[in-house]
Amino acid sequence: MFYRNILKTFFQSRSSYLGRYNGVVTTIGNYRNVIPLSTTRLALKDEKVKVVFKLADGRRLEAQGAVGDSLLDVVVNNSLDIDGYGACEGTVTCSTCHVVLKPEDYDRLPEEAGDEERDMLDLAYGLTDTSRLGCQVTLTREMDGLEVLVPESVHDARS
Amino acid sequence: MKGRGYAVKWSRRLCKRDLGTTACSHQANDSERGGIASRQIASHRTRSTHAAATSVLETLVPSVKTWDEVPGPKPLPLLGNTWRFIPYIGGYSVEHVDKVCLSLREKYGKCVKMAGLLGRPDMLFVFDAGEVERVFRGEDAAPHRPSMPSLMYYKHTLRKDFFGAEKDCGGVIAVHGDSWSAFRTKVSRVALSTGAAAQYTHQVGEVADAFVDRIRETRNPDLETPNDFLNEVHKWSLESLGLIALDTRLGCFESHEGSESQRLIDAVNTFFLCVGELELTAPWWRIYPTTMFKRYVAALDTILSVTLSHVERALKECSVSGSKSLLQDLVTAAGPRVAAVAALDMFLVGIDTTSNAVASTLYQLSLRPDVQEKLHTEITNVLQGRPLRAGDVSQMPYLKACIKEVLRMYPVVIGNGRQLTKDTVICDYNIPKGTQVIFQHYVMGNSEEYFSKASEFRPERWIQRSHYKHHPFASLPFGFGKRMCLGRRFAELEMHVVICKMVQAFKMEYHHEPLDYHVHPMYTPNGPIRLKLIER
Repeated sequence: MFYRNILKTFFQSRSSYLGRYNGVVTTIGNYRNVIPLSTTRLALKDEKVKVVFKLADGRRLEAQGAVGDSLLDVVVNNSLDIDGYGACEGTVTCSTCHVVLKPEDYDRLPEEAGDEERDMLDLAYGLTDTSRLGCQVTLTREMDGLEVLVPESVHDARS
Repeated sequence: MKGRGYAVKWSRRLCKRDLGTTACSHQANDSERGGIASRQIASHRTRSTHAAATSVLETLVPSVKTWDEVPGPKPLPLLGNTWRFIPYIGGYSVEHVDKVCLSLREKYGKCVKMAGLLGRPDMLFVFDAGEVERVFRGEDAAPHRPSMPSLMYYKHTLRKDFFGAEKDCGGVIAVHGDSWSAFRTKVSRVALSTGAAAQYTHQVGEVADAFVDRIRETRNPDLETPNDFLNEVHKWSLESLGLIALDTRLGCFESHEGSESQRLIDAVNTFFLCVGELELTAPWWRIYPTTMFKRYVAALDTILSVTLSHVERALKECSVSGSKSLLQDLVTAAGPRVAAVAALDMFLVGIDTTSNAVASTLYQLSLRPDVQEKLHTEITNVLQGRPLRAGDVSQMPYLKACIKEVLRMYPVVIGNGRQLTKDTVICDYNIPKGTQVIFQHYVMGNSEEYFSKASEFRPERWIQRSHYKHHPFASLPFGFGKRMCLGRRFAELEMHVVICKMVQAFKMEYHHEPLDYHVHPMYTPNGPIRLKLIER
């Protein structure tokens, strides 16, 4: 009887130990599963990419933008000091958010310029083959470190 | 400090006078210009440092000439230049402003002053696309468009109870400054977003089909369209706009004398005929309500009441059916009153502009069978026998180019303008704040200087840009920038779809005397457009 009790206790404690251990393992396992997942999800939601705006006067403005934002959003959300940028608030009625991309970046953009954008690009000052309107370029994760040139917006022969 | 305060007050007073009357105040203005410029820098810095910097440069550059030196027809004492528009005596006719503008360009050069028009600010006609570009690019946050004073009077005085009842609810036409800006921002996000119009492709297509059927039926035994063809096009335009602005098929093609939609069509016609007269000739209505003015107000009242009743009904239906539309988006984004006023403004300026553009395009196409053939081939290749869907039009560059080409040679609105919100140098002249600057797109669009082979109808120029000389700011049928046409996406969709359907259905021919164009007040063929429509 005594031995049986000892054995029982031993087994019980062992099983409970095992149980506890198991529990710990699962908890740790859960943490392992949950934490990385949740961080990934957060990162996806709020994933930032760096964009560099090179201005005609030689300034370089670096800013963070969220995936899914347009280049115009980046300028507005970071209050970047680019004179007259995005006058029509992204309604594609002006060409003040004109940017020039590097050819390789231009070719990689997921969406081509639509008709409305092309009509307005025609009116952009200093139009190039790799010009886009900033309000129509949506950031993707692959664009991290993107550099765009902002041509001078006001064309004044006197200045 | 005290002195500066005084200077500010003084310059404001001067500016007010600039708006109201003629050259007499400008000399005083010259001596004060330094003061005015410095005030402007302070007030504009937050919005646009660039513009401010420009104005400093402009005031300092010694070669800049004064406003008094701008060439132009000399106003007579007391009568000013208004007399020139008196029939038979003056030599200028409102109906042929296009020709007046061409001759002004010939006689005086690229920048012409039209001063001394009774009861109006002085005007500056600009025929230089480079200068148009500079003015547009230098625009601040709320550019002024020369407004229709009569409409302004209607909205802000006669019916101020309605338009002033809610903050920033005046609409976009004849409204300025912060109030305009607030309203425009609410509406333009919805109306100008790139996909806004495409969702209507199918419905607009149905209206266009109904139009084609109606035109087929109303042909005479020679297969020609009747004399009142333009009225049929107006009905199509109104029907399409009713769909877009009010979610409603108004039933214009079945309309008859006295029906609500015919009343609306008539009211819109009256509005446009009157507005030309009221705005371009001496504004006697400011002194007493002329017959013309009474008709005008009655027409506006009709449009407003019909629009309102439709918005109310559409709102009720919206909440039941739950369909997604422009009207609903507007109501969600900005409330029912904004939606109603936006609809009213669309009715005021969205019907006969679009219909005249379509009538003019159909007429021009009927003169050019080869262009029609090319169009027909393009359309057939894209559609492959299936009905028109959203996005198809973007596969039809030639169709779009044809419409651009018609609007280059015969823009329905021959000029666009801005009322300067600051002193600006244009063509080396210092133009004072308050001046109405009119960009003469009709003259520029037809000028060899900006378009090679300008007198020839060549849609290709819009596709193969490099083969043709082309100045993008010379032809701007919808304007540019913050005050660009708010209905542009819808107008373009309507035009593309209806021209597409007409070309699919008929070979169009014209067998009468060539039609001259006149300002009525849209720039449109003068005379019945009797197209021979042969079934394809």
